[in-house]
Amino acid sequence: MAQIEFKNVTKEYEDFIALKEVTIFIEKGEFVFIVGPSGAGKSTLIKMLIRDEQPTSGEVVFEDKNVLDIPREDLCNLRRRIGVVFQDFKLLDSKTVFENVAVATEVVDCPKEEIDAVVPNVLNMVGLLDKRDKYPVQLSGGEKQRLSIARALAHEPDVLIADEPTGMIDPVASDEVMIVLERINEMGTTVVMATHDEVVVNKMKKRVIRMKNGSIVSDKKKGKYDEQSDE
Amino acid sequence: MSNLMNSMLANLKRERLLVITNIVVMSISFLVLGIFTSVIFLSQSMLKYLENQAQLMVFFKDEFVEEKILKYKTELEKDERVLSISYVSKEDAFNIFTEANKDEPILLESLSSDILPASLEIRTKDVRDLAPMAESISKAEGVEEVKFFEDVIDRFRSISLVVHIVGFVLVGLLLLVSYSIVLATLRMTISAKGKELEIQRLVGASDAFIKRPLLVQGIFFGIASALVSSIVLITVSFILSSSGLYSNLNVPFIPGAKTSLGVFSLFDSLLILISGGVLGYFGSLSAVKRYLKI
Repeated sequence: MAQIEFKNVTKEYEDFIALKEVTIFIEKGEFVFIVGPSGAGKSTLIKMLIRDEQPTSGEVVFEDKNVLDIPREDLCNLRRRIGVVFQDFKLLDSKTVFENVAVATEVVDCPKEEIDAVVPNVLNMVGLLDKRDKYPVQLSGGEKQRLSIARALAHEPDVLIADEPTGMIDPVASDEVMIVLERINEMGTTVVMATHDEVVVNKMKKRVIRMKNGSIVSDKKKGKYDEQSDE
Repeated sequence: MSNLMNSMLANLKRERLLVITNIVVMSISFLVLGIFTSVIFLSQSMLKYLENQAQLMVFFKDEFVEEKILKYKTELEKDERVLSISYVSKEDAFNIFTEANKDEPILLESLSSDILPASLEIRTKDVRDLAPMAESISKAEGVEEVKFFEDVIDRFRSISLVVHIVGFVLVGLLLLVSYSIVLATLRMTISAKGKELEIQRLVGASDAFIKRPLLVQGIFFGIASALVSSIVLITVSFILSSSGLYSNLNVPFIPGAKTSLGVFSLFDSLLILISGGVLGYFGSLSAVKRYLKI
């Protein structure tokens, strides 16, 4: 049984169709790239996993549970099991590196002792422990993205979804971010990353699902960015 | 809990000027609410006093002797509408008159007790029974004249009604203003914290977690403003009471109970504090529902 299932998912807006009958199965522990040009439907697809978007038709299943059937008050539990990393980092400029990560633990009313133990641990994992008292404005692009990853890891999620995490950083910083994501994946966390960064995809040699105009055009294990054929 | 308080204090610190302005405006609203409640209380108390004082004075013809008057009194006492009846004999009336005019000896010299009529002073349980009773008593045998001050009570009741209506409308409007202030302030807070709230939601905050500090902030606005206006109201009321004015007032709806404006202001302040808390809670709840979509 796949950990994540998109079954015949369609998303229609008033003036265009973002996703057309998309079906994807992702196993636990996989590292999957969803690639394609802007407007291909990548972001819409991964937002559906945390129900930040809802499909017009079809099903989004996470660990045997239809995400659409989860009551609103239980949605927070789903979001604690799926960490999210954004292209624009979504960091709080008025909070330090430590506090930005702590936000994720505070929302579940973690006791202070637990926060003090968990936050340095995840900061160490992404190589930012020495910058714990800095503010986001004092960090480079790559460091900001690693901080965003650290925050997503604070709940020890089963799945990490990353929406264009290398979109706003230079190639060196991109490599650092990808090393962190690979390490997280090796520890057993499923990683789903939407990107149109060809270099990153080709270097990683992971499963690549290619999308265009809201449809899947290829799905290849150890694929490359521009491959067309299905496997 | 400490996280909640820290979050609220941080918000208040960040929007210091806005917080002060809102609390001042809301305090004025609550103060007006308190003043009008006090005015309503005073007018009710005054009305009660006037009603207590209201009585029929039945004057009898000289030929209608005391024995007959007392017999008529016994008859009247059987009437369920009657609260009390006291007999004022010619002598009693003369004594009262003498006491009232003791500074005018020339006037008193020319008078004797015979000149003043004997009378019955009748109080009814309900002031509205005075008129029909006066009507029937005036037709009774031996009755010379029936007097009561119906107009004064009616006029005061009309004024009191106007004060009530104007007061309630004004209080309603000011509560609406306070409600709108809570709503607008929370809207600004939500808008200023938009990114933080979005991040909290995405990292798994429950709706309750996001709502809690905003609700607490709304309640804080309500109670802080109510507290400021209560302090002003209590201080002014106790100053007025200590001067002897408004210190022995009838309590409306509680027969025989007396209080001072100062003590009433304590009760009034409790009412204002509860109103402040309730208004703050519902104002912020409405803002959260409207602007946060949760």
